[in-house]
Amino acid sequence: MENRVIKIYHGPQHPGITGNMSLELDLLGETIKGARTHVGYLHRGFEKLVERRTIIQAFTIVCRICVPEPDPNEENFARAIETLAGIEISDRAKYIRTMVLEMARVASLLLWIGGQSGSIGLGTVGQWSLFDRDLILDLFEELTGGRVYHMYIYPGGVRRELPDGFLDKLFELLDYLEDRLPLYDKVFFENATFKKRAIGVGVVNRDEALKNGYVGQVLRGCGIKRDTRRDNPYLVYEDLDFEIPTFNGCDVYARAMVRRGEIRESIKILRQIIEKMPKDGKIMQKIPKHRRFKIPKDDTFVSTESARGEYSYYIAGDGSEKIRRMQVKGASLIHGFTLLEKLLIDEELSNVAMIMNSLGICPPEIER
Amino acid sequence: MIEKLKQNYEIEEKNQRLFKIRIKQEELITVISSISSTTNFITLSQIACADWIEDEVFTLNYILTTDKRDKNLMVEISIARDNSSIPTLMKLFPQAEVMERDLHEMYGMDFIGNPTLYDFALEDWKEIPPLRREFDTLEYVNSNFEFRKGREDNRDVKVEIKRRRAEAKKRLKDGK
Amino acid sequence: MKFSLDIKGSITPFVAVGRVFEEPKTICYPFEKKEIAKGYRGFHTNSLDKCIGCANCQDVCMNDAIDMIPIKEDRNPKNSSGCIPRIDYGRCCWCSLCTDVCPPSSLKLEEDCIWASDDSNNFLYMPKDK
Ligand code: SF4
Ligand code: SF4
Repeated sequence: MENRVIKIYHGPQHPGITGNMSLELDLLGETIKGARTHVGYLHRGFEKLVERRTIIQAFTIVCRICVPEPDPNEENFARAIETLAGIEISDRAKYIRTMVLEMARVASLLLWIGGQSGSIGLGTVGQWSLFDRDLILDLFEELTGGRVYHMYIYPGGVRRELPDGFLDKLFELLDYLEDRLPLYDKVFFENATFKKRAIGVGVVNRDEALKNGYVGQVLRGCGIKRDTRRDNPYLVYEDLDFEIPTFNGCDVYARAMVRRGEIRESIKILRQIIEKMPKDGKIMQKIPKHRRFKIPKDDTFVSTESARGEYSYYIAGDGSEKIRRMQVKGASLIHGFTLLEKLLIDEELSNVAMIMNSLGICPPEIER
Repeated sequence: MIEKLKQNYEIEEKNQRLFKIRIKQEELITVISSISSTTNFITLSQIACADWIEDEVFTLNYILTTDKRDKNLMVEISIARDNSSIPTLMKLFPQAEVMERDLHEMYGMDFIGNPTLYDFALEDWKEIPPLRREFDTLEYVNSNFEFRKGREDNRDVKVEIKRRRAEAKKRLKDGK
Repeated sequence: MKFSLDIKGSITPFVAVGRVFEEPKTICYPFEKKEIAKGYRGFHTNSLDKCIGCANCQDVCMNDAIDMIPIKEDRNPKNSSGCIPRIDYGRCCWCSLCTDVCPPSSLKLEEDCIWASDDSNNFLYMPKDK
């Protein structure tokens, strides 16, 4: 039989795809000759909805932009509004926010372990890591009242005071997680199957990484040390001592090892936060005319490091109590199109899910 | 580096790490390519568009980021709301392709030279581009979807208060 | 890629087998229930002795989930409109903004969060009087 290129749709119902999106693949045998990303299965029009609502009403939907890690969205939104309205938040609120962001990062990275291991058939690891993630969600439940969508970081501070004994519980959980990490190393990161599958697959071109605007683990997996927490610090990251793990190799394995290091760094950061957290202080700044407060006609651009890379918001106010424009850019927009479409060429069909997971592509933030 | 830019452009300093310049629409390609080749604002992070319907313009903010990722520069142009077309930045930054595709769908402006200006997130969208201010989501929802029944007994509280006051007054009068 | 035997990497994953002997981590629902943390954002409760019928909650709710409906018997003389909120759980997102803006703090969220009904259109919820 002659060689024929066939076209298949990979997703949106394929379990290996990271969310509701699909890839249109041109296949020659098992090899991919062309790839096109399709999104649009999850468009919810948040950017439009925000324009119709007052600021505190808009606050409740920004967290829904990213499902596995909503907090960077809340932080971006709150920080942009604070910048525009000229609100300075208290130190204690800053520490609590940083703590929430780091907890969310660990939870999200554990979820990623589940996805990445599932994509190469190591389902067991995923079950463990999802259980561990649930323990973090339990803490979130206690702190914020919600497991997944926390709606906690609020323009002006945070919404609730820490419950009694929360920091002790967090401390215990960190101990537990640290105990668990060697297990993941043994079963997943050092697993011969994973190494064989991942090393040399999905290699990002290092020279164009910075210029093309790649972020997060894609850069750090190329050995380029970039992290918004360090380069463009926000909240209290300037006072905290942490490393930025990098790994050379530019492939799926390198990105996995970067994430492995990041879980450890986040745990380290959380321990420092527990130590340094100011004992008292206001958690919420008074906002004048809470329900209808206005922001001036101005615009700003803020970014936060999420577990998948830099997350940035452009927010423009027009002098009324509504936001004129909020534009979200998640890490996945560039990774899912500019990078992925190129990266998949000449890869095997069986590697698609693995590569997508390792880039951390998440369609909700592409189409908002 | 910022000093260097200051010689040529009028820079608005939003904070230590965020700057803004405003340029004309025609200069877009020349300015951005000269900034990205002579300074270290080498990458494009976002193209942010806002609709200022009262001034009849869209403002496009091309947000450039340094290679250290520590500073951002917003390059703002204003374009007419209708039938405007701007050159694409795909040649300079490949990531501009998908950003422009997104904006084209949401606002309807044309990016000359970008071949991918087809459906992005919306499929078969026949109405006006949804992020333009004149598109009214509420009206669209009301004409296209049905509300679930059973909520007709909602009362307007202001009317209700007035009614009750009047009733109370009447009762008072009748009592007398 | 050249084939090379990674002995350590092939053996260590077998530590997973050891976990067969551990207790299961799941809970046996419905015989055993997970304890819901205090302060969980579940169903609404409204203390009718305190609610003043001001409709702040309706005003702040961005999902238009709240209807103000007439109260059966007047419980609070300060309730000038004679209305209390009813919530459409087909629309509510449990953001708890309504409880934040309630002037007498009569509207609250409780821990209970399980809703079952045999009518698929039945989402209207009258907050419990607590
Ligand atoms: S529940 Fe609270 S906010 Fe709502 S009408 Fe009653 S008093 Fe007002
Ligand atoms: S919790 Fe939020 S969505 Fe639900 S009724 Fe209250 S304000 Fe509306």
